[in-house]
Amino acid sequence: MILIIETQNLSKWYGNVLGLNDVTIQIESGITGILGPNGAGKSTFLKLITGQIKPNIGKVKIKGEKIRNNYSLFSIIGFCPEQDSFYEEMTGWEFITSLLKLHHFSSTEIKARAQDALEIVELINDKDRVIKSYSRGMRQRLKFAQAIAHEPEIIILDEPLNGMDPLGRRKIIKLIKSYEREGRTIIVSSHVLPEIEAMTKRIILIHQGKIFAQGNIHYIRDLIDTHPHIISIKCSNPRELASKFIHEEYVLKVHFSSTRDSLLIETNNRDKFFSLLPSLFLESNIEVKEITSPDDNLQAVFDYLVGK
Amino acid sequence: MTIKEKGYTHWDGELKEGKFPWRPITRWGIKLTFKKKFFKLLFFTSLVPALVYLAGIYISERLEDFRFMIKGPTEFIQTNPAYFKSYFTNDFLLFMMVMILVFCGAGLISDDLKYNSLQLYFSRPLKKKDYFFGKAFVIVFFLFIVTLIPGLVLFFMKLIFSGSFKFFVSYPWLLVSIIGYSFLVTGFFSFYALFLSSLSKNRRYVAIFIFGLYIFSDILFGIFYGIFRNQYFALLSIKSNLQQVGSFIFNQKTPYDFSWFYSFLILFFICVLAGLVLKKKVRGVEIVK
Repeated sequence: MILIIETQNLSKWYGNVLGLNDVTIQIESGITGILGPNGAGKSTFLKLITGQIKPNIGKVKIKGEKIRNNYSLFSIIGFCPEQDSFYEEMTGWEFITSLLKLHHFSSTEIKARAQDALEIVELINDKDRVIKSYSRGMRQRLKFAQAIAHEPEIIILDEPLNGMDPLGRRKIIKLIKSYEREGRTIIVSSHVLPEIEAMTKRIILIHQGKIFAQGNIHYIRDLIDTHPHIISIKCSNPRELASKFIHEEYVLKVHFSSTRDSLLIETNNRDKFFSLLPSLFLESNIEVKEITSPDDNLQAVFDYLVGK
Repeated sequence: MTIKEKGYTHWDGELKEGKFPWRPITRWGIKLTFKKKFFKLLFFTSLVPALVYLAGIYISERLEDFRFMIKGPTEFIQTNPAYFKSYFTNDFLLFMMVMILVFCGAGLISDDLKYNSLQLYFSRPLKKKDYFFGKAFVIVFFLFIVTLIPGLVLFFMKLIFSGSFKFFVSYPWLLVSIIGYSFLVTGFFSFYALFLSSLSKNRRYVAIFIFGLYIFSDILFGIFYGIFRNQYFALLSIKSNLQQVGSFIFNQKTPYDFSWFYSFLILFFICVLAGLVLKKKVRGVEIVK
């Protein structure tokens, strides 16, 4: 692994709003996942490392060179933004070729590259349709195509799987993994943990503009497992159900809802708890309406990490 | 795995820096403008004055042949710098230029803001100034076709129809005036349209701004002049300022009783203001939720 992206005390704020705060980080080749809830600072971080916005404090270096106004570096970066960035009246083909023109390729090369990129994302048959007629998933794939069309060494993808169907997601994930095998550097941001998990073990957790954790995903998971989990069960007789597992060591707290049809259980061993649950239901013949885990999402992970 | 051991093959062709990195933006802008409804009709209508003035030059050189058509004095079709000045500063041509701006200039930046395209431009090897050049040259392209090119054609047709260089010898500076004024009016309108285009994400609003501000400034002048009878209020009017500076450039008497330089300063100030606003508005943005 070699060092590709390096940031030092990177900070960015918009008036009184803090976008990113004192981020010092090193990113190596391969896939790195940037995780964080909406508004955490992921897009700000990605725009700073692609040189699109200027940091208030700090430095960004790509392959040892500063990125800001270093236009030669922009040729080796492919950026897929989170928001749609299309001229709706353009066709997919026109969109890709017009952006390739900005890379100063010859016209033959532009056609070949556009063809390849659209084939990769399986849009070649729809290339002459105007973008406004594209579905959400097709738009995502088109954005992805423009990021890879010039064969960049560094691919930066901001929420690339948003709005894609499961099949499309799987294809893009497979593609991203193939780029890793080719030796490229891929940075993918998402607020959905399983999406990132499917691509890489290396993640960076961002929250409120700060880096909360960085490293192997298992390490982060372990960190989360040291914190109790909350499980909500909606059933016909919550008090009877509670009496069945109240003596278990891994059950820390039990709360009954005011509506008297559900209970909240706090446990420090979720796996053990879930393995016991079906037998308890069967033994006591309790009708279960719903089992949910209110804190089983990324926001909860951050809540644990920030000690909320 | 290091980059040197990469499995993918990079394009091994020569990646030229490109003399005109803004060219793809300009070409696309021109192409999009021609796709707009009624634009072609409007554009060709704006060339009508050029055809009329060309016919005027021809008639002035063949006065005897057309004597049967002309009643009264013939001075008005004498080809001289005043004739060129009247072509460049006539109300109709200026109005048509503003209409061209409405069609070709309104969406230039506002569409990029609307469609979030700036992040795609600026994540590529494209400098901010190239982006502005690319956009401005769309306007320059269309406005030169109705100013510089007809101006030069009229000048050279005058030489051809007269069959001598006498006209050129009499007014050697006229060619510079034609080029100078074309650059001035095109440059000003480029700043004017880009500036207004950067103020809104809605192309329609921008079109209204472009047209409205031009007309409103002239109406304002009319109102104040009507009340105070002071010609200095012409400084409020974009059209009057262009005509005032145009008259100076063509070495003609200015239409208002104040120095052309004041008008020039007003136009220059608008351009500087536009430049500052553009610099601030066109940049990488991040929406903080």
